Amino acid sequence: MHDALFVAAAALCSPEPDRVEAFGLKCYAVDKLLLPTVLRRRTSLTTRMAVTAAVHACRLAEVDPSRLPSVFASVGGEIQITDALCRTLPDIEALVSPTQFHNSVHNTTAGYWSIINQCQFATSAIAAVDDTLAMGLLEAWSQLQQTQGDMLLVCYDENWPQYLAPPMGQTAMACALVLSTQGGREQHKIALPRTSRRNLTIKQELLQFMQATPAAAVIPLLQALQSQSDKLIPLNYSGLRWYTQLV
Amino acid sequence: MTPVPVTSYATINACGLGNFAFYQALLKQQTGLGELGLLDIPFKTKVAEIRQPLPVIRPELTVYDSRNSRVALAALNHAEDGLREAVKSARSRYGAARVGVVIGTSTSGLYETEAAYAKMLNTGVMPEDFYFLSRHAYQATPRFLQHELALRGPCFAISTACSSSTKAIAAGQRLINNDICDAVLVGGVDTLCLLTLRGFNSLELVAEDFCRPMDRHRKGINIGEGAALLLLEKPNKALQQYPHVLSVGESTDAYHMSTPHPEGQGASLAMQQALQQAGLQSQAIDYLNLHATATLINDHVEAKAVEYVFKNTLPCSATKGITGHTLGAAGAIEAIVALLALKHGFIPGTWGLQQTDADCHCRVDQQTLPGQNLHIVMSNSFGFGGNNASLILSSDYA
Repeated sequence: MHDALFVAAAALCSPEPDRVEAFGLKCYAVDKLLLPTVLRRRTSLTTRMAVTAAVHACRLAEVDPSRLPSVFASVGGEIQITDALCRTLPDIEALVSPTQFHNSVHNTTAGYWSIINQCQFATSAIAAVDDTLAMGLLEAWSQLQQTQGDMLLVCYDENWPQYLAPPMGQTAMACALVLSTQGGREQHKIALPRTSRRNLTIKQELLQFMQATPAAAVIPLLQALQSQSDKLIPLNYSGLRWYTQLV
Repeated sequence: MTPVPVTSYATINACGLGNFAFYQALLKQQTGLGELGLLDIPFKTKVAEIRQPLPVIRPELTVYDSRNSRVALAALNHAEDGLREAVKSARSRYGAARVGVVIGTSTSGLYETEAAYAKMLNTGVMPEDFYFLSRHAYQATPRFLQHELALRGPCFAISTACSSSTKAIAAGQRLINNDICDAVLVGGVDTLCLLTLRGFNSLELVAEDFCRPMDRHRKGINIGEGAALLLLEKPNKALQQYPHVLSVGESTDAYHMSTPHPEGQGASLAMQQALQQAGLQSQAIDYLNLHATATLINDHVEAKAVEYVFKNTLPCSATKGITGHTLGAAGAIEAIVALLALKHGFIPGTWGLQQTDADCHCRVDQQTLPGQNLHIVMSNSFGFGGNNASLILSSDYA
């Protein structure tokens, strides 16, 4: 059993890349051309953003997406579609769009990703509020112990209506990581996420961004990978509980 | 995968509260389906609604109060099944940080969210007691259970539509196999809401009358609600006599968001992978609880896949005529069907089935078969997004 994982590649995507790049990380704009024409109209911004990040991460890692099991981790998932449906439902005569309905499930992005890449390996869709990244890493890590090889972890959340859980959901952002049990060139190893009662400090500006942007939980990890910092890396904005470390 | 023992389990669904009530309903083929009382909808159908009073969430956890949490609490508190005591014992033996919670759900607290939106559309603001993250969000119910049971291990929701809770069982087995947890409370919880009733109706998948799984005249699903919770523990000689989760096969159709692969490729892959992981040949399976929702295409495709993997001798049955289709909870509820079948040595009948579709070549048992010697059984769950999971359970593991 491995107690650490290689991060073969990471890619970020946001409709507001500048806001993410302010933290010193490259961030791609949403590129709907990465989706087949037939799916461009049917998919939400959430899915397009998550797919953009995932495509770039797979390219950077030089892995074939059709061969990767995947975990999609998001707090709100297709929250804009769900919001629109919830606004429709009080009208008892209103038609609920069948496409919107099946596109409202939490595994919508996972489903479209599998279709785009003709990938029949397991895909999952998980949620864990502020621990979504940490639980995504744990689930990916424990799947990899079984399958060996590579897998894809995508953490993403779009903009949320601000009456749901302010300030959460202010900036839409996705992060895709290609994780691997095997190391290659220029790859970094991270430890299995663990819990701590220590309060890991996060700079105020980043903390505020993380509180409003669930997927930004990954920023301290990506910054540490960039700077090769050996400090403990918080995996959520509260700075408590789950953390990892480069090894 | 290393098999893990299921040391306790409990359910609540439209058949009643607790494992014994559920066993009686399956054995005697008493359906939980009936008229919808909870909500108003603009079409006719039958639903499997929980009618008994649900327990109250204690005041400290009021932000988690939802129909989903209450249904989960009802199963947890049912003293005859002893699940709460079993979790408490696991917590004291292993420590709170070594006990995880992984729950599958498709819509979580959406019943409350819909009511909150209706108020907001009238008044312009969300009601004061609207707590999105702890009531609506997918992770609300597992977080509630974690707090209710004072656990501190990994805690998350899996939401892959109708395969959610079978995948939660898989995740629990993995957390134990990889020494992240010593015990994991896994399962599924889903409750009735307008979105699923009206959404499935828009897709023309809802039956106006009682559903008829695998029947030549089947016309769609009846939606149900319920919770099924299972405590998985790390393998141990002293726990060998408990039923075990042997494996869960997981695959994706990569075909369509709401229609299964026409040849049942994804479904076959999930069943084959489960067999392979458990190191079993197909002949080792004594009974298969079908996903069989009673839609035209789903049942047809599943029958094809089962025929492909098992030829056509394996006894199969479908229990959604008893429980309704409980969506994200279906996998865990049907895992309990499988556990009850192993425990009591019977194959539940397929309520609603009158004449098996001539195109469905697998053997579907219409009547309950008592007096069966079952050792290893399988349960299928397939969901939107082409998301498939097949679970294999054994009566014990020596």
